[in-house]
Amino acid sequence: MKISRYIFLTFFFILLLFSITTYINYRLSQMVVVNEEYLSRSGNIIREAGRFQRNILTMVNGLHGYLLTGERSFIESYDTASVENDSILVELSSLLTDSSQSRLLKEIKQLNDQWTDEYTEPLKQAKILSNVSAKNLDSFNNFYKEKFATGHEQSIQSLLKVKFKRFATHEYEIREANMERLAAAVGKTRKLSLMLIILSILAASAVIRFLVKKISRRLRQMANMANDIAIGNYNVSIKDIGRDELSSLGHSLNHMASELSRNISLLQRSNEELDQYAHVVSHDLKGPLRGIGNVISWIEEDHKEEVTPKVNEYLALIKGRIVRAENLVEGLLSYARIDKEEMEKEITPVNALIGEVLENLPGHEKVSVEVGELPVIHTEKILLFQVFSNLINNAIRYNDKEKREVRIYCKEHKDLYEFFVEDNGMGISEIYHKRIFIIFQTLADRDSYESTGVGLAIVRKILDSKKQDIRLVSQPGLGSIFSFTWPKN
Amino acid sequence: MKPINILLVEDDQLDVMEIRRTLDKANIIYQMMTARNGEEALTLLADRGGSGIEELPDILLIDINMPKMDGFELIEAIRKQEEWKHLKCFIITTSNERVDRKAAEKLGVSGYITKPLKLNSPTSMDAFNLIIDLMNFKSKE
Repeated sequence: MKISRYIFLTFFFILLLFSITTYINYRLSQMVVVNEEYLSRSGNIIREAGRFQRNILTMVNGLHGYLLTGERSFIESYDTASVENDSILVELSSLLTDSSQSRLLKEIKQLNDQWTDEYTEPLKQAKILSNVSAKNLDSFNNFYKEKFATGHEQSIQSLLKVKFKRFATHEYEIREANMERLAAAVGKTRKLSLMLIILSILAASAVIRFLVKKISRRLRQMANMANDIAIGNYNVSIKDIGRDELSSLGHSLNHMASELSRNISLLQRSNEELDQYAHVVSHDLKGPLRGIGNVISWIEEDHKEEVTPKVNEYLALIKGRIVRAENLVEGLLSYARIDKEEMEKEITPVNALIGEVLENLPGHEKVSVEVGELPVIHTEKILLFQVFSNLINNAIRYNDKEKREVRIYCKEHKDLYEFFVEDNGMGISEIYHKRIFIIFQTLADRDSYESTGVGLAIVRKILDSKKQDIRLVSQPGLGSIFSFTWPKN
Repeated sequence: MKPINILLVEDDQLDVMEIRRTLDKANIIYQMMTARNGEEALTLLADRGGSGIEELPDILLIDINMPKMDGFELIEAIRKQEEWKHLKCFIITTSNERVDRKAAEKLGVSGYITKPLKLNSPTSMDAFNLIIDLMNFKSKE
């Protein structure tokens, strides 16, 4: 499966878990809102029920007061309470949702009606009539006694009280149950949310770990491969049987490495062939050249008297050109010989090496050579000798100043040294800075400076073989600074 | 004085002339047979007493690069024959390569002479002195 798909699926899964968590919490908040509404309604119910009960009391007191005193004000407070209770009943029945509570309310209303029908209305009428005649007063008094003697009115009232009490208690019970349900829901939601969040974190970290493991191990492999290639080991490949983006990158890397390997070995082979060719050609050229030289020296030795001075002059010219040709062949040979032979490393004090170089350079006594503090390196001494020898030789030879100066110094870097050979000579125009390192390229005419154009090419080839750099800072007339790097080990 | 017997194996006639001149200059008295390559040299050695030389040469001067059979192959062939084993072989060549010197050393040559021939050159002096010693030794016999 592709890595991008893994990432997408993980993201989707975590998103799903969070959606579920959010939904559960949304449901809980809805429950809280419903409960809040219920609580306020329940408060209203209790309050209204209380008012209803108080009104009944007012009505009882009003009735009794009126019956005893005949004062109209009693009957007025009775009427007010009765009217109010009618509207309270309407409101309560609209507030109530619980059926048993509704039934209870109905029973309360029936009891109240029963009391009104059996006592209030008949007694009220009798009382009104009692004011008309004494007979009526007597019959009212009898009726009054008769009505209250039984104690039935008392029992209706106490039944009403009981029912109200039950009504309130039941309402509180419902409220309690609702609160408990809500608390349980809150607890459950919290637990569920926590679990879902932990699950998402676990899932996310598991997938991330899996992906990191899957990716980083392979990336490391690729990095190692690239490093191998960088240090010249082209025979490397990555084994990857996956079918994702990294696998195709791995395939591309393998392809690149094999192509590189092929091209490099082709290049190496053609370089070797070229060296071989240069070696054979220059070797074979040496013989005939020496032959010509020999014949001329025999003429000079044995037949000096027989040749004219002009012929002698020409013979000298031929000899000069033979020397030049031999120098070229010798230069080509030593160029081709570099990295042919296994060089042994030895402890090389570079200051002493510069001393040896100068001893081998004719005419160095006339030059002021300033040598700085140079390190001691464990390296192929012969190669370093050749590099310094060619650079110092050039610094001394191509110098037209009255007082020729050469400075040799060194800068230390992390893994390598940078050596400088500086002169106050003729300098080199920038357009030739590349060209001078090509074999057989010279800037000075051959008649004045017997130059083969091999020296700097040898320097370059030695440094190339050691994967080092050479740089040139120079302007015509301002001298030159050649600097090259050399590994510490 | 008895001349020293030399078999020179060399394909370039100019080189043959040069060697003769150098030996003359060194006042070496010698008798010389020449072969143009290894094969010819072997034929000459084998044909000794017939049309070739009468006795085995005192020394062989052998060039490395020759057609048909080169110097190293020739020395190898000589070392394989019981009666030739003791022959003193000198390499005489334009090559001053380390590989060639090492190969010669391995074959147990008596000396290594480089062209152009110079009696007092550091690379060839020992070999020439040895040849002169051999000559002197033979004269005393």
